[in-house]
Amino acid sequence: MRIRILLGIAVIVLAALGIGVWIIRGPGPLDFSAGSRVALADYHDAKPSGVPEKLARASLVERGEYLTKAADCMVCHTTAGGKEYAGGLGFQLPFGTLYSTNITPDKETGIGDYSDRDFLNALHRGVRRDGAGLYAAMPFTSYASMTDDDALAIKAYLFSLPPVKAVPPQNKLVFPFNQRWTLMFWSAVFNRDARFAPDTSQSPAWNRGAYLAEALAHCGECHTPRNLAFALDNRNKFAGAVAAGWRAFNITSDKATGIGAWSDDDLVAYLSLGHANGHGTASGPMGEAVDHSFSQMAPEDIRALVAFLRSVPGLTSTDLPATPAPAAPAGHKDGVTADARGKTVFEGACVSCHGWSGQSPVSPMATLTGAWAVNDPGGTNVAQIVLSGTHRLTPDGVLSMPAFGNAYTDDEVAAVTNYVTARFGGKGSKLTAADIASLRQQTAQ
Amino acid sequence: MATLTINGKLETFDAPPDMPLLWVLRDVLGMTGTKFGCGIAQCGACTVHIDGKAVRSCVLSVGAVGNREITTIEGIGATPAGARAQKAWLDLEVVQCGYCQSGQIMAAAALLAATPHPDDADIDAAMAGNICRCGTYVRIRAAIKQAANGRQS
Repeated sequence: MRIRILLGIAVIVLAALGIGVWIIRGPGPLDFSAGSRVALADYHDAKPSGVPEKLARASLVERGEYLTKAADCMVCHTTAGGKEYAGGLGFQLPFGTLYSTNITPDKETGIGDYSDRDFLNALHRGVRRDGAGLYAAMPFTSYASMTDDDALAIKAYLFSLPPVKAVPPQNKLVFPFNQRWTLMFWSAVFNRDARFAPDTSQSPAWNRGAYLAEALAHCGECHTPRNLAFALDNRNKFAGAVAAGWRAFNITSDKATGIGAWSDDDLVAYLSLGHANGHGTASGPMGEAVDHSFSQMAPEDIRALVAFLRSVPGLTSTDLPATPAPAAPAGHKDGVTADARGKTVFEGACVSCHGWSGQSPVSPMATLTGAWAVNDPGGTNVAQIVLSGTHRLTPDGVLSMPAFGNAYTDDEVAAVTNYVTARFGGKGSKLTAADIASLRQQTAQ
Repeated sequence: MATLTINGKLETFDAPPDMPLLWVLRDVLGMTGTKFGCGIAQCGACTVHIDGKAVRSCVLSVGAVGNREITTIEGIGATPAGARAQKAWLDLEVVQCGYCQSGQIMAAAALLAATPHPDDADIDAAMAGNICRCGTYVRIRAAIKQAANGRQS
C-alpha cells in the first residue's frame, strides 16, 4: 500500500515536472507554421540548406565562407580592431561578463584540435571539446537547426584561416552562473538539438528563408524576448527585445509596430543595405549584422528571408505608437522644444547633419523621420548611438556618426535623447543620467 | 570622371564617390577657402551650402551630392545674404585668426537667407555648431544682426 502511494506520488511529481518543462520551454521557433514537417532528405521541392545556386559548384571552403558570413560568426568572435575570429569580445550580462572564444584553427588557444564531431557537438549541442557546456550567448539552440554538411563547411572555412594565438579574458560571472556543469540541465530543457525540417505547406522560398533566419542568421537571438531562464520565448517570436544594450525592434508581421506594412523593396533594402527610406538606418548590432552578414548574401536569399518574415504572426509592441511621427517642423522654434538643455546639445552637435525637421540635408541614411529609434519612448537606441556613434558602409561610401560618449556627460546624453525622441518621435523618452550610465555599462567591452 | 555644380559652374574632376566633398574641394579642385577642422562634423570649419542649406563637407561623400548645387566661401559673395554677411564681417572686424571664419560666414549666410531677421535664439540655433577658438562669438552675433538690419547694432 505504502509503495503504491509512493509510486503514485512519484508519477505525479514526474508528470508535474514534465508539464513544467513543457510550459517553460514553450513552442519551437517554427511551430507557428502548422504544416506537416518532413526530414530535409525527404523534401524535394528545393534545397533549403546550403549555398545559393551561383556557389553550387564552389569549393568546400568557398561554400563555408558564404555560410560563415550568413551565420555571422565574425561579429561576436572578433573584438574592435582585433584579429578576425580570435575571440575576446565581452558580453555584459546581468550576472557578469562572458568573453567569446578564439575560433581560429590555432591548436593551443583556438579550435585547431576540434574533430568534425567536436565541432558539431559545439554547434548543435553547446558542448565544448573538453565536455564542458557552452553558455547560450553562443546561439547553439539556433545553430542546432543547421545541417551537418553546412556546419562542416563552416568548419572547413574557419580551418582555412590563419591560426591566431590568443586567449580570451576569463569570464567574470557570479555564483551560481559560473558553475558550468549546471548548463547541461539548461540544455536538456531548452536545446531541442533538432535539425531543420521543411514545412511542406509552405513555399520553397519560405523554407529557404526559415533555414537562413533560424539555422544561420539566428534573428531570434536578439529579436525574440527571453524567458526567466534566458531561453528564447517563442510565444513572442520576433516581438522585439533589448539585447547587448540595444533594442531589437518588433519584426513580426504586425502592420503597426512590426514590419507588416513595409514593402518588399523596403525590407530587401533594409537587409541588404541597412537602410530603407522612411524607415531609418540600421546601427549598433543590426548595422554590424548588415555589414558582415546580410549585405554578403545572394539577392535570392534576401528575398527568401523576406518571404519567411512575412509569415511570422503579428504581435503588437504596445509601447510604440501605431505609426511613426511625421517630419518635425523646419523651424527650431516650432514643434517640441521642451528640453532646453537637450536643445542646446542638439543645436551644437546634431543639427548640422540631421536638420531641425529630422530630414537630413546630408544623406537619407541620416534622416531620423520614420525610424523606430526616435519613436521609441524608451529612447534606448537614440542614447546608444549618441554614446557610441555608427560607422556604416553604403553604396555611396562610408557614412559615419562620431561617438559622443566621451564628449558629453550622462546628464547631457539623457537630455539630448529626451529632446530628440520628443521632437522626432511620437512620445519623448524620460531618461535620466543613471539610465545612461547603465547603458554605457551594458555596451562596455 | 565626375561632375559637380560649384558656385554656378560645372566642375569636372576625377575622384572616388566615397571621397568627402571637402577633399574634392580642397585637394582636387584647389578651392582652399573651405577649411578642414575636426573631420567629424563637430566644428563647422568645412561648412558649405548644398541647395542653400549649410552642411558639413567633411562627412558628406561626394557621391551623395548628386546633382544638388554647391556654394562655397569662394562664391557666397554672389548671393545677397552672403554679400551682406561678408560686408558686416569686414565692418565689424569679426575675424581674429580667421581659420573658422569661412564656415562662420557660410552658416550665417544660410541663416540670413532662410530667416532674414534672426533673433538671438535663431542665431544660437543656426550657429552653435560652428566653433571659434578665438572666441569671436560676440562679434559674430553683432555682425549677423548688422547684416540683417543693414546698420550697426
